[in-house]
Amino acid sequence: MSNTKYAKTGFLLRIYLRRDWLKIVFWLIGVVGLMAGAAGKFDTLYGSSKAMNSIITTLRTPAMVSLLGPFTASKPYTVANVYAAEMMVFMGLFVAMMNIYFAIHATRTDEDSGVTELVRARAVGRNASLTAAIFELILINLIAGVLEALGLQVSGMSGSNAAGNWLFGFGLAAFGLMFGAFSLLAAQLASSSRGATMLSYLILGVLFVARMGTDVQNTDLTWWTIYGWIEKLDIYGQNIWWPVALMVILIVLIGGLAVRLGATRDVGAGLLPQRAGRRQASVWLRGPLSLIACLERTSTIVWLVALFILGATYGSIFGTAGDLMKTNPTMAKLIGTTAVTQANRTIVLAFANKLVIIFVVLATIPGLITLFRLNRDERNGYFEQLHAKAVSRGQLYFSIAAFGLVSAIVALLLGILGMYAAGAASMGTEALTVGRFMRAFWGYMPALIVTFGIAALLAGLLPKFQNVAWVIPVYGLISLYLGPLLDTPKWATRISPYGWVNRVPIDSVAWGTASWMTVLGLGLIVLGYLAYTHRDLTTN
Amino acid sequence: MVQPVVEIKQLQKHFGKFQALKDITLTVNTGEVFGFIGPNGAGKSTTIRTLLGILKKSGGTATIFGQDVWRDAVAIHKRLAYVPGDVYLWPNLSGGEVIDLFLKLNDQKHSSRTDELIKAFELDVSKKCHTYSKGNRQKVALIAAFSTAADLYIFDEPTSGLDPLMEEIFQQQVLALKAAGKSVLLSSHILSEVEHMCDRIGIIRDGRIIETGTLDDMRQLSRTQVTVTAVKSVKQLADNPAVHGFKQTGDKATFAVDSEALGAVIAALAPLEVKTLQSTPPTLEDLFMRYYNQQEATADEQH
Repeated sequence: MSNTKYAKTGFLLRIYLRRDWLKIVFWLIGVVGLMAGAAGKFDTLYGSSKAMNSIITTLRTPAMVSLLGPFTASKPYTVANVYAAEMMVFMGLFVAMMNIYFAIHATRTDEDSGVTELVRARAVGRNASLTAAIFELILINLIAGVLEALGLQVSGMSGSNAAGNWLFGFGLAAFGLMFGAFSLLAAQLASSSRGATMLSYLILGVLFVARMGTDVQNTDLTWWTIYGWIEKLDIYGQNIWWPVALMVILIVLIGGLAVRLGATRDVGAGLLPQRAGRRQASVWLRGPLSLIACLERTSTIVWLVALFILGATYGSIFGTAGDLMKTNPTMAKLIGTTAVTQANRTIVLAFANKLVIIFVVLATIPGLITLFRLNRDERNGYFEQLHAKAVSRGQLYFSIAAFGLVSAIVALLLGILGMYAAGAASMGTEALTVGRFMRAFWGYMPALIVTFGIAALLAGLLPKFQNVAWVIPVYGLISLYLGPLLDTPKWATRISPYGWVNRVPIDSVAWGTASWMTVLGLGLIVLGYLAYTHRDLTTN
Repeated sequence: MVQPVVEIKQLQKHFGKFQALKDITLTVNTGEVFGFIGPNGAGKSTTIRTLLGILKKSGGTATIFGQDVWRDAVAIHKRLAYVPGDVYLWPNLSGGEVIDLFLKLNDQKHSSRTDELIKAFELDVSKKCHTYSKGNRQKVALIAAFSTAADLYIFDEPTSGLDPLMEEIFQQQVLALKAAGKSVLLSSHILSEVEHMCDRIGIIRDGRIIETGTLDDMRQLSRTQVTVTAVKSVKQLADNPAVHGFKQTGDKATFAVDSEALGAVIAALAPLEVKTLQSTPPTLEDLFMRYYNQQEATADEQH
């Protein structure tokens, strides 16, 4: 290229691809495998009209609409319609996460580790590394899109057609790239890879929650949420292509802005202003526990507020969701007012049961992020001097574990309370008591403790493999939420601790199970401590 | 009888099959500055991390203040200050916060001495740690360590990122600690620094302590560089087994003599009508290079 700003872009792109090829392969296997695997199984699952009708009824419940988007297909329904409704929003989330990961990995992570500085010192253009990152993202998404489309073609699901398959593939590619572009922008604004990742997930989270709200209330408003554009493709229905064009326009705008900003800022710095720090530590910062609290303060507050808002968002639709008079007036007239109230409440409680699974899985995330600081900060070298102080390993371990566990539990509690508070407001006289919702808290908290305990044991015993524990919440969500849709056997849901909980808050709390799970979870945390005190600390 | 502060006997450490420490034996006495030198990867940092209870030893004994470094880590750490070679600090805390935190973790407070040190090292403590350079992060750790009232100070290559002016301040502070009767374990690559400050030295190579002692003791065991001009030919000296690296240009000859044979060589020179004679004691650099080359030679022979 004649413009020296872009010198060596192609070379950097090759380097990036060689560096990341294994990661790219794993993500592609995950994304394409999930798509094609589900497509292959759907015909057997929903082949009969009875199964089809029952799944469409489920998909029309607010719980499913908020998670997976509305079911908009028109009769006669095909298996492909069900597939599109179940997979579109969900796969969108998956590819968005993939793009956030690669976008930050290719830009900010290298800057943090000082690699960018070395590269920039060579005969490499100022915009080259960012442009190479953009090309890498485009390539990943195009390959993913083509493979997804081919996977759908091969599966030959009934009701599917080539137009829909290719729209699905390229729609997801454009959708993923859109979030990649947001992350590239975030990478210019934030001053570290952690900050950029948090900002990217904040954007994704806000757009997703906004989509939930509009999908349940009024799907026309979903246009404004950006995330909802993927629903508007109407795959296997009218197969509308122009939202893809809309996405591409946004990609060009956001990506162009990121390149412009990237060309003007300093390497290693962000564009968001940095506040000066304290000259002296506050009186609160005095030991391991307050150190962890100080380090985790901002992100913990964000998680707690986010869970409360998410709970309240769901709660606010309880009034509409549990309104039998509206959804089934004939039946409502038949059974009478008292029975209607009763039925409405049952609907809401069934809805709440599904929602709590989301809350408990989300609440696990801040807990595990804090817990894994135990080895992460060790590897980064932050704890080395701490160990030379009069701080025992036990103090450090239990400070981190306690802060993580308590913030996870409080996050769960706030999600449920948010749901209760907004639910009570929207249901008016039919509102349920807070005690009824607290059943969900007492039921799921022990499962949260067990998950946390397994992670703590892993962190204590096998520091290199601590991240394996993320499988538990991910599997828990998939098995409990999508398991019933995919017809998985009972034992499969029991693999994760969340699968041991009974149907709270519909049923009352199984105190026996709750007690032994709590004891087991706390015991695992103690075992993790014993392992942690008897090994070498990770050194960098 | 001087009281040992650090006592290490036959310390060993394995990482899987790799033997990082094979045989470390050394003592640091009360009130002395002990220099710990050796090349990269010899085991200096591993020894220090074992002393701090970060790594668990595989064999031998290691005590500080007479207490076991693994079992009694917290009790020991109350009387100890440490600066690692690579200082990494929480990016979102300020330098001032980190200094105060480290003091509080040892139940101590930000004092006027802390302020003096911040001034001496010229550190802007209100900046967030992620904006600091390597040298500035080291300053944070040094300020926290020097303002801690402790009995033993451990420094692991503490000045690798400091400019010469700051290194001078570091040396002043270490000498002040020594004057106050504190003990210091200083691992370093900067031999002039070690030569200037240390009472005794331990040389580590490939997981073993190969020499400990005062600089004077080691010079005894080493070679003196001699430059001589004489009327008669000095060529015959080249055959003397105590003479090494003999070189002659005109009537001027330079060679190294084993220190214990210096007397005998001088006696052999006497009848040759010496015009000028210059003898230089070995510097630490020379000692260091010699120990290393010697060891490598023996290692090669064994193969």
